[in-house]
Amino acid sequence: MNNPELQISDADAHECQVLQKEEFDVLESIYPECISSQITEGTLKLEIPIEFEEPRNVNLTKDCPSSPTTMSCDRPSESVTLSTLPSLLIELTLPPSYPLYRPPQLVSIRATHFWLARIPLLHNALTNMWNPGEGALYQWVEFLRTGDFLQNLDLVSSIDMSIQLSHPSPHILAPLLIAYDTSSKSSHFSQNSYPCSICLTSLKGSKCLELTCGHIFCRTCLEDFWKMCIEEGDVGRVGCPDPDCVKAGREAVEVEVARVVTDAGVKRWRWLREKRNLDKDPTIIHCPVAACQAPVMKPTDVDQESGWGRLRQCSQCFFSFCAFCRRTWHGPITPCTIAHSEKLVLEYLAAEEGSAERHTIEKRFGRANVQKLVLTYEEEKANKEWLHASTMECPGCQCHVEKSLGCNHMTCWKCRQHFCYRCGERLAPSDPYTHFSIAGKPCYNKLFDFQAEDADWQPVEGFEMI
Amino acid sequence: MDARLRRVNKEIADCKNDKTSNIRIELIDESPFHLKGSFPGPDGTPYEGGHFEVDIVIPESYPFQPVKMKFITKVYHPNISSASGAICLDILKDAWSPVLTLKSTLISLQSLLCSPEPNDPQDAEVAKHYSTSKSSFEDTAIYWTQIYAGGPGPKEKKGKGSSRSDVRDEVAIAGLEKAHVDQFEALGFQRSKVIDVLRRLNYRGANVAQITDDRVVEELLK
Repeated sequence: MNNPELQISDADAHECQVLQKEEFDVLESIYPECISSQITEGTLKLEIPIEFEEPRNVNLTKDCPSSPTTMSCDRPSESVTLSTLPSLLIELTLPPSYPLYRPPQLVSIRATHFWLARIPLLHNALTNMWNPGEGALYQWVEFLRTGDFLQNLDLVSSIDMSIQLSHPSPHILAPLLIAYDTSSKSSHFSQNSYPCSICLTSLKGSKCLELTCGHIFCRTCLEDFWKMCIEEGDVGRVGCPDPDCVKAGREAVEVEVARVVTDAGVKRWRWLREKRNLDKDPTIIHCPVAACQAPVMKPTDVDQESGWGRLRQCSQCFFSFCAFCRRTWHGPITPCTIAHSEKLVLEYLAAEEGSAERHTIEKRFGRANVQKLVLTYEEEKANKEWLHASTMECPGCQCHVEKSLGCNHMTCWKCRQHFCYRCGERLAPSDPYTHFSIAGKPCYNKLFDFQAEDADWQPVEGFEMI
Repeated sequence: MDARLRRVNKEIADCKNDKTSNIRIELIDESPFHLKGSFPGPDGTPYEGGHFEVDIVIPESYPFQPVKMKFITKVYHPNISSASGAICLDILKDAWSPVLTLKSTLISLQSLLCSPEPNDPQDAEVAKHYSTSKSSFEDTAIYWTQIYAGGPGPKEKKGKGSSRSDVRDEVAIAGLEKAHVDQFEALGFQRSKVIDVLRRLNYRGANVAQITDDRVVEELLK
């Protein structure tokens, strides 16, 4: 085999040269990433990454020095799932008589991190693939790149098709293989282009994000979407924007949110999620201190019938307050002061402007104070009136909802309760429309509010057929 | 140029280039955020041959908030309000996804015409009609398609029920009640005129209570 003095004719030598050049050009155009050098004096270096079509299980067993070529120690000490294995580095020379009379000569085969133990076997397998007169390099690269050679080297289990590798220290090799797999996956992702179905453009992977459900969107769109939801407090919509995922209610996980929005956004997102969970419990009151707002639980060890039942203390800022009026704790007996001041305001308003009664109240409490109270009272009253007139309270979480458009079947964006916008009744999510279809009920046929201006619908007269 | 405008322009262009879907999107005025979509009624339904127009309003935070759509063309369908054209479809509300486009949403509306869901009625009167007598419902839907959406009308249904069309009750097909028509006819107006006016005013179901007799008479005197 090692007979470098094989004599060939000039014509054959020329043909070999042409064929070698052709083969190299083909290889370079198909697998540019596998070629790490030009042919210099017949020597060529290849670096071939191994990429499986689907992730495969790889079992790493401890190599026993007594029997280096067979796997006698069959205890798998590490098991990992990988889509890629580190590159094989191959150095070879192309003899002047290749491919007509001689195969390529392998100078060396190296596996990064020494993950492959059976290199001599691979040597033979590759050399045997050559048929006189045919180029072997393309088959070699294909054979290695796809991982088909593992089968030839008897490294694939016939039972579950997992790959069996032996190594002196599997616990060191396993994390290296995983790290390589992750980094090659992410570089693969960032090199490809993906269409973002929100901005309807195609972007480089480095500008995109693959969510755990497998859907890919550009980071800018995800950021715009999630930022808006987080700002508006609509935490339930922070998830994959794909229609199926929206219907399934798939919410994003923290690492995804953290990769898309700012740190402040992540904090607010986390806070909103906690708040949403707490809001499901109606006994929880938020601390009235504007800067605190911590959730305050209802004490369990207190007689609810006594005045003490309305005492709450914030666990964060230790503010003690009355659960009814949300003001500083005023003892178990004293009634809420808000009622008192309201009484005063009502008394004041009942009296005529410029009357002696008004004058007395103004004198007793100070004109400016009374004016302030009246203003607050009127503001609150207007607020309440507006809430009553233009919104409906969700029967699930008491959140006021204002309808801008559409039918009267509402779904609360906060607690997902289905309800009727007309009467506030809870509706079954499975069958929300019966409420509007039972003759005789007040909401019968009232799924839509009648708007007089819509009655001006006209038939299309002289309509041109298209 | 902001992302919303870019996306809407792309969607309009995409719809223009797509000759196969038959979905059209046009500007109503200068603004690209108030549009008119239209599509043909699906074949094999009472809406066949009709041309249906939909009012489209693109909200400020589109595509993250759902597009607002309602029918401009009057439609006789259990899931569409016969009074306002409002549509109560999940994808226009909580099942909206930013991935959905104007075109895909209009296609969803088109397929809604194919498959009425009388168990999720948006218009209880129409749904009742649909559930009690499907053929009578279809007659009305064909009639509405003809007069509001430029459909071919019942004549297209060749060979089937030609004798029935002779005796078909104009009042029922217009979706009105005989008692109402009789009431105004008794005031001395022509029967066909009464039917025309009541139909235009949508004098049906719960709307009857909302429209005063004076209003009807006023229209009749026009």
